[in-house]
Amino acid sequence: MQREESRTDLGTIRIHKNVIASIASLAALEIQGVKRIGGNFRSGILELMGKKSFRIIHVEINKNEEVKVEIPLVIKYGFNIPDIASKVQENVRNSLEKMTNLSIKDVNINVQGIERM
Amino acid sequence: MRTLGILFYTAVLVLIGIIMFIFAAAFSFDKLQPQCIKYINDLLFYLQSSLNYRIILALSGLLLIIISFSFAQLILSRFQREKTIAFPTSSGEVTIALSAVEDLIRRLAGIIPEIKELRPDVIATKKGIIVDIRVVLKAEANIPELTSRLQEITRSKIQEVLGIEEQIIIKIHVAKIIALEEKERRRKETEKEEPTIPFSGYGRT
Repeated sequence: MQREESRTDLGTIRIHKNVIASIASLAALEIQGVKRIGGNFRSGILELMGKKSFRIIHVEINKNEEVKVEIPLVIKYGFNIPDIASKVQENVRNSLEKMTNLSIKDVNINVQGIERM
Repeated sequence: MRTLGILFYTAVLVLIGIIMFIFAAAFSFDKLQPQCIKYINDLLFYLQSSLNYRIILALSGLLLIIISFSFAQLILSRFQREKTIAFPTSSGEVTIALSAVEDLIRRLAGIIPEIKELRPDVIATKKGIIVDIRVVLKAEANIPELTSRLQEITRSKIQEVLGIEEQIIIKIHVAKIIALEEKERRRKETEKEEPTIPFSGYGRT
């Protein structure tokens, strides 16, 4: 798996894609109205096998070291989807920039379902 | 390409079906002679004996698996891509699965007490969003009033939750009306099935 790398005087710092996905997952769940991170058939099998759920979040790093994150979400019933999606995008972007100093290109949200609170 | 994929799967399934049908017919009419079994056995033996044939057979099998996987992926990805509503924002893109919209509409059954069951089907087209709702109503419901109320509620809920300005077409199909008498009869029947035990309320001391 590709890692984001930066060089300091003492050596290099590498940030694994899973770390980016984990931060994005936690930042998304902070928003009121987000029920849980969504998933697919593959992630369901991975979870059954004991793998962590942040693998569902797709992280892409391009040649210019820009990060693109794709988050599947399940929203709570009664909330405005564009409003929640926009809040999640903002929070994820801020959290990633604050914690990793990475340049975030896109935070794509994929609303997969609506569940009762 | 999608049509080709569907044709491929149809051809494979039809072939399997034909083979199974032939074998079933041969077994039932006792037409499967020991000679036929011998031919199959000879063929298998011939394949086993020659290395080239084994390689050809394995490669053909592998090719068939790869073709079916690629077709399956193609068909599934196409279906998945079509089943979302997407809109761009300043931070990226937001896609909403049509099944999420269906979930939202399904929740509306709880708001209107006259609705017994509600099954929505949402399609996104260039013209707008088409919502097809199949409902089962209770007998006391006034259908024209109820359906128009359901259309209004559905439209406003979709616009409120999704925040879209596109045209929303709502079609309602009343599939069944459950009578109250039937409901009462069912309740009486269940009462008959479970006779009350005399002095059941008293506990042992």
